[in-house]
Formats: sequence, C-alpha cells, structure tokens
Amino acid sequence: MEIKGRSPATLTVRWLDRVQSTWRLLGISPLGLLMLVVIGVAPLFIKNDYIVRLMVVCLMIGTQAMAFDLSIGFINVVNFGFAAFVGLGAYTSALLAVDLGLSPWIGLIMGALVAGLLGFLLGILTLRLRGIYAAIMAWFVGLSLMALVTVNVDITRGPLGLVVPLFFESSDQIQYFYVIFPIMIGTLVILRLLTRSHIGLAFRALGGNLDAARASGINPVKYLVTNFTISCSLAGLVGVFYAHYFGILTPAIMHTKATVEILAIAYIGGRGTLWGGLLAAFLVIPVFEYLRGLLAYRWILYGLFLIVTMLFYPGGLVGVVLWIGNLIKRLLSRLRKGP
Amino acid sequence: MQLSGFVDLVIIGLFRGGIYALMALGLALVFGVMNIAQFAHGEFYMVGAYAAFFCATVLGVHPLLAWVLALVCSFAVGVLVERTVFVPLRLRSREGWVMNAFLLTVGVSFVIQNTALAWLGPNYRGISEYWKGNFSLTAGLNVSADRLASFAAVIVTIGALWLFLQRTRIGRAIRAVAQDERGATLVGINLSRIHTLTFGVSTALAGLAGAVLLPMTQAFPTVGFKPMVLSWYVVMLVGMGSISGAVVGGFIIGILESFSYYFLGGGWQDVVVLGVLILILLFKPSGLFGAEVKGIWER
Repeated sequence: MEIKGRSPATLTVRWLDRVQSTWRLLGISPLGLLMLVVIGVAPLFIKNDYIVRLMVVCLMIGTQAMAFDLSIGFINVVNFGFAAFVGLGAYTSALLAVDLGLSPWIGLIMGALVAGLLGFLLGILTLRLRGIYAAIMAWFVGLSLMALVTVNVDITRGPLGLVVPLFFESSDQIQYFYVIFPIMIGTLVILRLLTRSHIGLAFRALGGNLDAARASGINPVKYLVTNFTISCSLAGLVGVFYAHYFGILTPAIMHTKATVEILAIAYIGGRGTLWGGLLAAFLVIPVFEYLRGLLAYRWILYGLFLIVTMLFYPGGLVGVVLWIGNLIKRLLSRLRKGP
Repeated sequence: MQLSGFVDLVIIGLFRGGIYALMALGLALVFGVMNIAQFAHGEFYMVGAYAAFFCATVLGVHPLLAWVLALVCSFAVGVLVERTVFVPLRLRSREGWVMNAFLLTVGVSFVIQNTALAWLGPNYRGISEYWKGNFSLTAGLNVSADRLASFAAVIVTIGALWLFLQRTRIGRAIRAVAQDERGATLVGINLSRIHTLTFGVSTALAGLAGAVLLPMTQAFPTVGFKPMVLSWYVVMLVGMGSISGAVVGGFIIGILESFSYYFLGGGWQDVVVLGVLILILLFKPSGLFGAEVKGIWER
C-alpha cells in the first residue's frame, strides 16, 4: 500500500533527475540559455529585414565554426578542407534540386549524408597522419574537390555559377531564420552532448596525446573517423542551407579562403569551447558589417585579430568571458564577506 | 604523339617547374630550419611582383636591378614579419609550435594580402615585357626572352643558394640549426639571428619568383595563392624540409602539369597532381626522397 502510494512521487523525482542530469551534460548556463532565447525570438520583434538577414549570416557562420571546432578543438586536427565539405553539401542538394527537382528539405538530409560520407573517407585518409600532415591532407582533399567541381562544367556550370531554387517563394527573412536557427540549436545540442560524454573525453585524450590515449585503450580509428564524419556532415548541412538561401552557387564557396574565415572565427571565439564560435560570429560579423565602408581594412583587422588572439589570448573570447565571470564572482564573494 | 612534341612538353614543364622549385626551396628552407609551415609564402611572391612592377615602371630601372630590389624588398618584409610575429610566439609557445605557427602564418597572409588590397586596390598591374624578342628552341616551340631570362635567374639563384648553404660559415650554421637546435646553440650559434636570416632568405626567394614572372602573371593582391599552393605540392611530393629534393620536385611537378594539361585539358592538371599527392601522403608521408621526419612535425 505504502509503496504504491509513494511510487508516482518517486517517478516524478526520477524524471526530474534525468532532466537535470541531461541539462548538466548540456552544460548551458542560465545566461547562455537566456541569450539563445533572445536570439531565437528577436526576429519576431525586429521587423527590419536587413538585421534579420545579418542574424541569419551570423548563425550560418557560427554553426560552421562550431562544427569546425569539433575537429580543431578536440582531436587537435585542423580540417583545412572544411569549406570544401560545406560546398559538397551545397552542390549535392543544388544538383538534386536542379536536375531531379528534389525538394530542398530532402536536400538537407542528402547534403549532410554525402558530406558525412566524404568526411568518413577523409577520416580514414588522415588516420595515419598527424599534426601538420593531417591538415595538409585535408587541404589537398578539399582542393581536389574544388578542382573537380570547377572542371566538370557540364554538370556544375563551373565558375559561371549554378542557379538554385530557394527554400521559400517569398524572400521574407524570418522564414529563413527559423530554418537555420533550429539547425544551429541542433548542432549545439548534439556537439555538447557528444563532447561531454565519454566520447568527448576520448576525443580530448586523442588530441592531447595520441600514443598515451591508445595505450590506455582508446581506439583511435573509431573516434577519429567518427569525429570527421560528424564535423563534415554538419558542414554539409549548413552548405545546403547556404545554397538554397542565396540561390547561386559557385566553386568559390569551397575556396581555402572560406576555410580560413571559419578558422579565424573559431579561434577568435576560443578553441575547444564550441559556443565560442557562435559568440564570435555574433560579435565580429555585425562589427564588420558596420565597417563595410572601410573595405579591405576590415580584413586586415580580421588577420590582426587572429594573430593577436593566437599570440596573447589563446583562450579567445570565451576566455575573456570566463575571466570577467570569475572577476564578478570574486567581487560578489568579497562584498558578502566585507560587512 | 611525335618525339618533338614530347620534347616540347618537357621543356615547357621545365620552365614552369623552375619557378615552382624556387618557391618550394624557400618553403622547405623555412620548414626545415624553423619548423614553420608557411601559408603566407604566396604573399611574399606578391610583394616581389609589386616591387618589381614599381621599380620597372615608376623608377624605370634596368630589369636586373628591379629584380634585385624586389629581392631586397621581400627580404625586408620577411624579416619584419619574423621579428614581430614569430619571435613573440617562440617566446610564448610551449607545445604545439608547428600547428600554432602554421595558423599564425594564415593570419599573416590575411594581413599582408589585404594591406596590398587596401593600399594598391584590386587592379591588375603588369608589364608587357622586360626584354623584347623570341627564341625558337625546337621546331614547334617559341620561347619569349623573358621566359628564358626567368629560367636563367632561377638556375643562377638556386646555384648561389646552394653555394651559400654549403660553402659559407652562415650557410653551415643554418644547416646546423636545421639538424639540431640545441646542438647548434651549444657550439655558439645565435639561434635568433639564424631564424631571422632564414625566414628572410625564404621570403626573398618567393619575392624573386614574383619579380621574374611579372611579364607572364600580373601583380594583384591575391596573385600569390596559386604559386603558394603549387610550392606546397612540391614540398609534400618530395618530403617536407628536404631542401635539395625541393629543386627536383619543382621540375617533376612542372612536367606533370604540362603533360596533364596537354592530354586532359585545362583545369585537370590540378586534379591529377592532387591525386598523385594524396596517394603519396597516404602511402609515404615522408615524401619521394624520404626526407627525415622530425618528431616535432607530427605533434
């Protein structure tokens, strides 16, 4: 009797516990959650298409930076052909839509799958290589993908550019915002759960010292390939959105310069933090948009940012945020003790 | 295909390859001695091209002098970059030097490229020729005087660098640092100076390549990307840090390109070369000539 009476309460508690532990695994602070919600509802109140458009671009770059960070910040491999995978997803979906009339929504899945498959292959290719060699391998694979897309003019129209059908008939920016926003949230949640689980621990171990990790029983093949597959398929997903958002696709999307931009954002945000890339995208890109009149100077600023971050603030923006947070905490505790 | 056509392709390949060899030499030098994987190498090519352009048109000096001035200019920019960027990194970096230095060169490339864009604009600046005239080498092949001159410059420079590295005290010191930094310090070599000098020499080589090719490829802010990628092909083909291998590798890539261009058409040469390189990285990451892989490069 007694047990029966108590069981529903225990169940609720257990359920709550589970929610709480998942939440802890996600590791998003209340402040972070608040910011995500603010970003999520902002377009409903901002009726300005220009600003919403800017937010869409920020989300796109931020998601890419997070996916990029999965390989650079955790297994310590610079995927220097990253942009090629973005382009691969974009071209897959675009060609399916143009030649077969497939809906862009199915294209989202197909693009991610194809990019993931190639990422799987790249993971296998780079298995034996370390450090700079792996980066160069990824770079060469990316360059050859771009060369292939440029050369096969009869399929991709090469540098002339492919005209791609858009997601929606109307050019209302809010619709596009609510396509990329769930993609970003999904990426953030997946990567968070992944990197906070034992898999993430294995990633970090492999990135820190591959031999020691292997000696303690971590299978490098499994984890490195998994990492590349996930990172590249997320890249492909964003690529599909890119294709059906801008409506025109050229091989320039796969250029090394695009990779370098993502790399800079990921580094400025803070390597190995995931959400740093998002933060950096939302801080840096609007500032650059504001400085548009200065043309080339903003790119100089970009490079200088990257150099200064690498030299003096290896923690990136997240490092600065954490530093400020600690400062506030210390101040509060001192105030509490003071009187 | 006839024998004469074959010879023509080889000659074209050699001419192309000479420039690649010159660029790759700088890349290999800086990687072997300083463990820096240079991504900004093309930017120094661009600096050299611009310097030669302004010397030839504005100052109107003799082409040879223009080349020397371009060499000096890119040397100076290289030294400046090394002093302001890599010296602080060397002081701070404890681990992961190769990767950090590589990413730092990415930032340097951004800055130099866009400084040129901000300062000089996106215009193409070129000259039609240094010297007038054509020479027919074989029945079907006409080569302009500029190409011959650039090839001669490449050969002379490679020879001079070879003598410098083998015969002079400083050259020996550079090679000593490449072999073992600690040992070199122990015998009294000033590491910091050797590093700066090596970086300067490497960028000067890239600058010279840009200067001698000016009649063939005009100067514009992103002109350096293609040569930089090609010199990376060469370095990965023969093995990173192999200095003598880089010269041979340059010619190999040049010939490979001219043949695949001829048989497969424009654009495919990249695919072919990259395919070969991916296979080499896969099965023999140390490169064709099996240059010794330093432990630090794999971290």
